[in-house]
Amino acid sequence: MNQHSITVRGKDRYKSGVMEYKKMGYWEPDYVPKDTDIIALFRVTPQEGVDPIEASAAVAGESSTATWTVVWTDRLTAAEKYRAKCYRVDPVPNSPGQYFAYIAYDLDLFENGSIANLSASIIGNVFGFKPLKALRLEDMRLPVAYVKTFQGPATGIVVERERMDKFGRPLLGATVKPKLGLSGRNYGRVVYEALKGGLDFTKDDENINSQPFMHWRERFLYCMEAVNKAQAASGEIKGTYLNVTAGTMEDMYERAEFAKELGSVIIMIDLVIGYTAIQSMAKWARRNDMILHLHRAGHSTYTRQRSHGVSFRVIAKWMRLAGVDHIHAGTVVGKLEGDPATTRGYYDICREDFNRMQLEHGVFFDQNWASLNKLMPVASGGIHAGQMHQLLDHLGEDVILQFGGGTIGHPMGIQAGATANRVALEAMILARNEGRDYLHEGPEILAKAAATCTPLKAALEVWKDVTFNYESTDMPDYVPTASVSM
Amino acid sequence: MNSQVSAPAATRDVSQTLPTEQVDLRREFNEVGIGEVLDQLDRELIGLKPVKTRIREIASLLLIERIRKRMNLTSDVPTLHMSFTGNPGTGKTTVALRIASILHKLGFVRRGQVVSVTRDELVGQYIGHTAPKTKEILKKAMGGVLFIDEAYYLHRPDNERDYGQEAIEILLQVMESQREDLVVILAGYGDRMDKFFASNPGFRSRIAHHIDFPDYSDDELLAIAEIMLRDMNYKFSSDAREAFVRYISLRKTQPLFSNARSIRNALDRMRLRQANRLVADLDRVLTADDVMSLEASDVLASRVFMKTISE
Amino acid sequence: MRVTQGCFSFLPDLTDEQISRQVQYCLHNGWAVNIEFTDDPHPRNNFWEMWGLPMFDLRDAAGVLMELTECRKVYGDRYIRLSAFDSSHGWESVRLSFIVNRPKEEPGFRLERHEVSGRNIRYTTKSYAVDRPEGLRYGDK
Repeated sequence: MNQHSITVRGKDRYKSGVMEYKKMGYWEPDYVPKDTDIIALFRVTPQEGVDPIEASAAVAGESSTATWTVVWTDRLTAAEKYRAKCYRVDPVPNSPGQYFAYIAYDLDLFENGSIANLSASIIGNVFGFKPLKALRLEDMRLPVAYVKTFQGPATGIVVERERMDKFGRPLLGATVKPKLGLSGRNYGRVVYEALKGGLDFTKDDENINSQPFMHWRERFLYCMEAVNKAQAASGEIKGTYLNVTAGTMEDMYERAEFAKELGSVIIMIDLVIGYTAIQSMAKWARRNDMILHLHRAGHSTYTRQRSHGVSFRVIAKWMRLAGVDHIHAGTVVGKLEGDPATTRGYYDICREDFNRMQLEHGVFFDQNWASLNKLMPVASGGIHAGQMHQLLDHLGEDVILQFGGGTIGHPMGIQAGATANRVALEAMILARNEGRDYLHEGPEILAKAAATCTPLKAALEVWKDVTFNYESTDMPDYVPTASVSM
Repeated sequence: MNSQVSAPAATRDVSQTLPTEQVDLRREFNEVGIGEVLDQLDRELIGLKPVKTRIREIASLLLIERIRKRMNLTSDVPTLHMSFTGNPGTGKTTVALRIASILHKLGFVRRGQVVSVTRDELVGQYIGHTAPKTKEILKKAMGGVLFIDEAYYLHRPDNERDYGQEAIEILLQVMESQREDLVVILAGYGDRMDKFFASNPGFRSRIAHHIDFPDYSDDELLAIAEIMLRDMNYKFSSDAREAFVRYISLRKTQPLFSNARSIRNALDRMRLRQANRLVADLDRVLTADDVMSLEASDVLASRVFMKTISE
Repeated sequence: MRVTQGCFSFLPDLTDEQISRQVQYCLHNGWAVNIEFTDDPHPRNNFWEMWGLPMFDLRDAAGVLMELTECRKVYGDRYIRLSAFDSSHGWESVRLSFIVNRPKEEPGFRLERHEVSGRNIRYTTKSYAVDRPEGLRYGDK
């Protein structure tokens, strides 16, 4: 697959006419990527009859300097430096017709600290290219030189815990339900009950912005009343993610400022506001000591299918650079897509200072984050107290577990639902620290805790048969037993 | 954790059915792995026959104790504190390490580390200084063995500003009430330890095993020297060996003899002399044998011989 | 009421045996264990009084329990917590923190509301305990 360079050099390179991409300098199998290069890994599915090397070289070309015919103006530039170089193409295991293409980009192609620029460069042009049947941006290696130009998470896991004064266990949250329709005052009631019962956070849903049934100011005012009441009732620091997503940046700043004025510890934004808006809000959050929660609204439109789109792990990397403090990253056992190995990859990307390449988790590169703050992953969607041992095992301790339906749908009421979740979690952590095999003894541990906690007993009863077992649409290509050519 | 003193096990009426569990002794012995530690002790230390025998006896006792506990025949925490008496350089510290390992493998000590201290680490220089100091050491030793060398220095009755008594109080308290958390070994010269126990009777009653470390015999000292040399890739010439035998018998009569330690020091001095002897003749071509061998002159140059002559 | 700060506040009060196991978990991870006490349980009171120094280099929980017993003798009338500190890169912060002793009666907090412009309210959480001077906050005095 990986033969020698066939690049045409010298004057012949710039003779007018059409030349194959792989001869134009976009296919360089002898090229060794520099430490300062940005590397992108694409999953390329060429159309029938298209040579995979040519297709990969085309991807490299169309995401850097090329166009469909030779242009003389190239000669006004240090063209070789600006060409992206595809240096390696491997067939994807067990997927005929798909190829992994490794492409290196010079650092100078990118503006400092701009996700908008990074994404426009890498995915802005090439995905509609006709010779490709499908294309997916699978992973990226970002050099330390580039990582250092970003702010990174405004608060980060360590400082968030210090501010909340909560150590040693996952944090607990719940999205207010029903998704839409509650008035501000009723909304505040739900928040108060959930926080009083024992959760650390509650959350606005992604589409709660400012609608006819509830204006945003009403929500903020009633929510903060609820948060403060719950805080006084329990002696713990509480918070609710106030969604400041709006139609313009000016509106967003106005909402964020109001949240700050009211004393909230945290605000939230949706992915659909766009990368530039996200970076601006991260900057604002840093300046105003605010934790910034990101809901990944809309991502599944392009992250879910294995053959085409952008993998969520790339989005997670971009968001860590951009500077959000929380990101939804999957639950494994809940109602939304995400198999254990791939999800583990996402979580590692958020939480580690150095990601080692691990193909079984879909992590294709060693990634050094150069002490950039750590991003707290959020697990939300169809999980309940009865799964606490599995959640702890799959997701670890530095995660926010959100039980929306699992709190509000409790038969004894919202406070009881919150208490059930909190007791289940603390009991599981206690058992884990003692060295017990909590994954297998989980149901036992929960039952024992339920003996002194009626809400938990009720929760376990009501949801004991709930599981979401469907075929995953996006799983790792590599399993630990396969021999990998590296 | 909450009780100060473990309650004595309820006396059983033997006519009640005894537990039917049977224990394969050899398998138990192999599983805990104390055999290796005892063998290691045999290999590492020359001589010390009575000590090794004693250690084996104690190990057997604890093995049976462990089995009895499993069979629910006892719930007592056995007293494990010990005193080691003998001259310096007789292997007390080494044996303490092996004992700690045995106790750990048999489950009588939870972590198995040895914290080795003398009076200075336990006693402070001013009022209020001692208790925190002693407690710091105790905390670090919890779960393992606390080895106090020259323990009698804790007690200085002639100096009224001495704070050792406070350390003694704390030690006695812990030795009694936290037997499952810590094992204490007191060590030092025989006669001084006797005096110390006489003026602090609380200790004697808390110590289960007294082990005496006799001085090495001349033959044992020679064997120790040979092993030390071999480990360093040196050897005696036959003349040197003869001279060294005489050296040993002379040295033992002189003050401040520290058994194995003194042998090591002597060998170091002999190596120094050998080196100087060789370097005196720079034109010589040296073989491996030359740099490995200690000659009689290297031994006889010792002051130990000079003293005899002057007498 | 019951102040629910710390990792295990929603469970029944931990026995010394359970505390020991948690401490052993911390020591196993190489974290230094620290004992702190306070009579002002306000959620933003970060700096409780330290009982001695953080305990580094311990192998067994018994050492910590020794100190805790001492602390309880003196300050058993107020809140005591254990925290474990991780000095490794990427953390350099507390990894576990939980309450091990509470006053017999926990009066809790009152919420003060201070109306400002529009519908805004400024909130302050005030603990009833600090209405009394230090040293007299809990107990029958």
